Amino acid sequence: MPLNKKLQKFSATVRSVELGTGDKTTTLGGGNTYPFYTFDNPTANPAKIGIEISDLGLADEPDCIKEFYAGCETVVDMAKKAVTVEGADFLVLKLIGGDPNGENKSIEELVEVAKAVADAVDFPLVVEGCKNVEKDAQLLAKVAEALQGKNVLLMSAKEENYKNVGAAAGLAYDQLLGAESAVDINLAKQLNVLIKQLGVDPGKVVMNVGSAAAGYGFDYCISTLDRVKGAALGQSDDSLLMPIITPVADETWSVKEASASEEDVPEWGSVVERAIDMEITTAVACLSCGSDAVILKHPTSIATVSAMIKALV
Amino acid sequence: MEKFITIGERLSTTAPIVNKAFLERDPEPILKRAKAQLDAGATYLDVNIGPAEGYGEDLMKWAVQLLQSNFDNVPLALDTSNKAAIEAGISVYNRSKGKPIVNSADAAGRIENIDLAAANDAIVIALCNGEGIAADNDERMGYCTMLLERGLSLGLTEDDMWFDPLFVVIKGMQDKQMDVLNFIGDLTDMGLKTTGGLSNNSNGMPKHIRPIMDSAMVAMAMMKGMTSAIVNPNDLRLMETIKSCDIIRNATLYADSYLEV
Amino acid sequence: MALTGIQIFKLTPKKNCKECGSPTCMAFAMKVAQGAVGIDKCPHMSEDAVAQLSEASAPPMKTIEIGKKPFADNKNDKDAAFKLGGETVLFRHEKTFVNKTRYASTVSTAMDDAKVDQVLADMAKIDYDRIGDRMYVEFIAVDYTDGASAEAYAALAAKAAATNRALVLNVKDEAAAAAALAAVKDTKPVLNAADASNYEAMSKLAADAGVVLGVTGANVDEIYDTVAALEKLGNKNLIIDLGTASVKDAFANGVLLRRACLDKNPDRTAGYPTIVNVAKLAPGDAHQQTALATLFTMKYGSIVILEEMSYAQALPLYGLRQNLFTDPQKAPRIEPGIYPINGADENSVCLTTVDFALTYFLVSGELERSGVPCNLLISDAGGLSVLTSWAAGKFSSGSIAKYIQEFDIENKIKNRTLILPGKVAVLKGDLEAKLPGWNIVVGPTEAVQLVKFLKDMQANGQA
Repeated sequence: MPLNKKLQKFSATVRSVELGTGDKTTTLGGGNTYPFYTFDNPTANPAKIGIEISDLGLADEPDCIKEFYAGCETVVDMAKKAVTVEGADFLVLKLIGGDPNGENKSIEELVEVAKAVADAVDFPLVVEGCKNVEKDAQLLAKVAEALQGKNVLLMSAKEENYKNVGAAAGLAYDQLLGAESAVDINLAKQLNVLIKQLGVDPGKVVMNVGSAAAGYGFDYCISTLDRVKGAALGQSDDSLLMPIITPVADETWSVKEASASEEDVPEWGSVVERAIDMEITTAVACLSCGSDAVILKHPTSIATVSAMIKALV
Repeated sequence: MEKFITIGERLSTTAPIVNKAFLERDPEPILKRAKAQLDAGATYLDVNIGPAEGYGEDLMKWAVQLLQSNFDNVPLALDTSNKAAIEAGISVYNRSKGKPIVNSADAAGRIENIDLAAANDAIVIALCNGEGIAADNDERMGYCTMLLERGLSLGLTEDDMWFDPLFVVIKGMQDKQMDVLNFIGDLTDMGLKTTGGLSNNSNGMPKHIRPIMDSAMVAMAMMKGMTSAIVNPNDLRLMETIKSCDIIRNATLYADSYLEV
Repeated sequence: MALTGIQIFKLTPKKNCKECGSPTCMAFAMKVAQGAVGIDKCPHMSEDAVAQLSEASAPPMKTIEIGKKPFADNKNDKDAAFKLGGETVLFRHEKTFVNKTRYASTVSTAMDDAKVDQVLADMAKIDYDRIGDRMYVEFIAVDYTDGASAEAYAALAAKAAATNRALVLNVKDEAAAAAALAAVKDTKPVLNAADASNYEAMSKLAADAGVVLGVTGANVDEIYDTVAALEKLGNKNLIIDLGTASVKDAFANGVLLRRACLDKNPDRTAGYPTIVNVAKLAPGDAHQQTALATLFTMKYGSIVILEEMSYAQALPLYGLRQNLFTDPQKAPRIEPGIYPINGADENSVCLTTVDFALTYFLVSGELERSGVPCNLLISDAGGLSVLTSWAAGKFSSGSIAKYIQEFDIENKIKNRTLILPGKVAVLKGDLEAKLPGWNIVVGPTEAVQLVKFLKDMQANGQA
């Protein structure tokens, strides 16, 4: 007697959000099962992977990343190289230099970088701000304006600045909007409701519900993703049926497992291997709980995670 | 915990406007009432065409197709004592948003509606009464058992049988209210789903009192595990109470704007 | 196979006597099917019916014990063997996962002695403490390859067992299995050997040796059938190998089995712990093995076998596992104590914060980045964040002063500068009064600002 398989059918489906234009679009979301549960229903759109670079170029990057981008003189050069990475579905440009507590680059300067990158590569593009909510409110609005017609995803609108970022990205310039909350499922839902009430098409919203590196309070991350996906599908909660994007590299590269030098902890072995494995584990764990896309940094991590996704769908 | 299911009761032949529209096959009043109920958050719509002898089949088909084609295959409860009309309605029913509900069977003259639901892979509302209102919970449970056994033996799953304890009117049967609620608790303990015409409890009360009493009743019934009710979705207080109870039961995720979605 | 309400009803006397407390036999039967009441509440049930139903009251997923633990997992761990399975939910937020995933490195009869020694030596190097848990490779998979002699396989198993790790004997050859069991059965290994073609013989070997039998098959139905056949033979000391046909199948098998046994009508034949051999699913590709080990830690592997666990793999996997298997209602905590950072000694500046693990990780991470030697003093603050524990009265001038005294800080550390979290700047005055001779400094409100703060102090000669 075969196993009586208890297949799980949901009546709700996560919205499909198209990123990019023309031939080079990629689709986020669109699933109606828990991640990789193809036995419940085949997957229309497998999970996607973004490769990240920043306006700061290679200055603050670890050696293995400098090696990969060796020969690149400018951020545009890096972008051109990044889009050739096997398994990368979209490019993520982080405008870290805008941080008022850091380099405090001007909005005009950063918009120029974003424009240059967008013009140089024919690839779906995500632009992240500098994480300062006041600066991002202006910066992301200007980027949205400058990149009109490119259908880029702007990250992120937060509780503090969703009106500015949402109005520019989602309404005025018809881009895609990232809605960011930090491992708080109620706020994740609320932000989506508020953005919809602003008039933004829910079909153009992607959620970032927070992330952490494996081992660093990642339990909250798991349960947030599990519960958001569970409520979206199980309760057909329209306010949560947005694809989820998780910036993984942001979290993993700074933890000591990935950054401590081989001189400091000789027994741990290669720092490159440690950084890659930390990135892989965190990415796969996020994908297995509900992320529809992850943002990574190292080409090997990207190729590995991409191969795993292909093997599962 | 699944979300509480509301079955909108306002498409009923007992309302003169609806009755006239049914008889004249006039879509406009029907669609208007349906839209108002769906906008207010109804999950299912009840289509009560009355006995409709002689024309029930034609009318039910017309109503099902009218509503489903205008409202994205909205799931419907087919409410009539006319069995042929229910079968006719099911024959044109689109299941993509949910199975049809047969409203209703009881343990007396309408027990064969259990068979009808089983034969058509439909949900059935099973009234826990025989001839007249049950005297106590033992009698209700006896009817429930009879209906359940019949349904399960015909291949219905327990999820497809929604038991109606029959709400009784407070003005007259105030001392029986807790019996009804405790009976819902008993059905919940058995793993059964429940529904019912909630507003029966407030029959005869002043208009401004009824939403308050209905809201209190639905909250207490949901505490006992009630899974669905046949309600007026345009009663804002009632719908807000149901949404709030669903938050407390962890059936929907809380957000500050939960009442607006 | 669990019985449905109607099936149980048919076994009842149908007398509606109410002696069980339910109004009718049907109501009673429905409650039994739900697990809400036990069948023993009915005094009129026939023995035969009770026997049929007793199965229905067992836990849906069995807990299986394997091996002998070389070390306790942590100071609260009293188990002599590795417990696997026994899970009750599909998601960690529903209820704490019970028995954590264990990992294995692989040796094989295809390896020469030098290679085997290297694998075992590298495996043993991974051994460290993470927030009170001992992290090491708990299992060794011992692979039999075609053509090897039974003696060679037994010798390899004995060599692996000598490392004090629990063994998974991956072997289809009956003679080799028997020889290995003769050599190492006292270590309580898994005999991972049964499939549809050989389960009777292998079950006998496992039962005679008193060890757990691993069962696999070409697909989930074959696995299920073989488990059912073994149960019929009376062997329920089993673990299911999810197979190596493909990643997709192994993943599906694991989820479908877990789901079937935790269904509201539990299918206990599906309720066993599992083995996932990612070494075979991605041979020669260590990074892909990391990815798959992660996937099967999340969903729902009990033993995950890698080729050779490296530190690079262990660090994220064990961290992830530690997070995954925590109580969702209880915040992880750090033991109170002195945590020297960047080679700090008794002359290094002191900082204090709460024992909430997330806060500790954030703060210690930033302190490490600063490069400034410093002592991080962690007191018992109830496992709450800084502001919450302050509000709860668990992180106060009194509690900090008491900690300084109880841990004998003044004799252990000569430096007398103590940096407070900026969010509890209000404690400064009180602390100065309670800790005479100390220079109490208010630090930044966010951990990320610590790097600059400490570097500035260092530049000013204050740290």
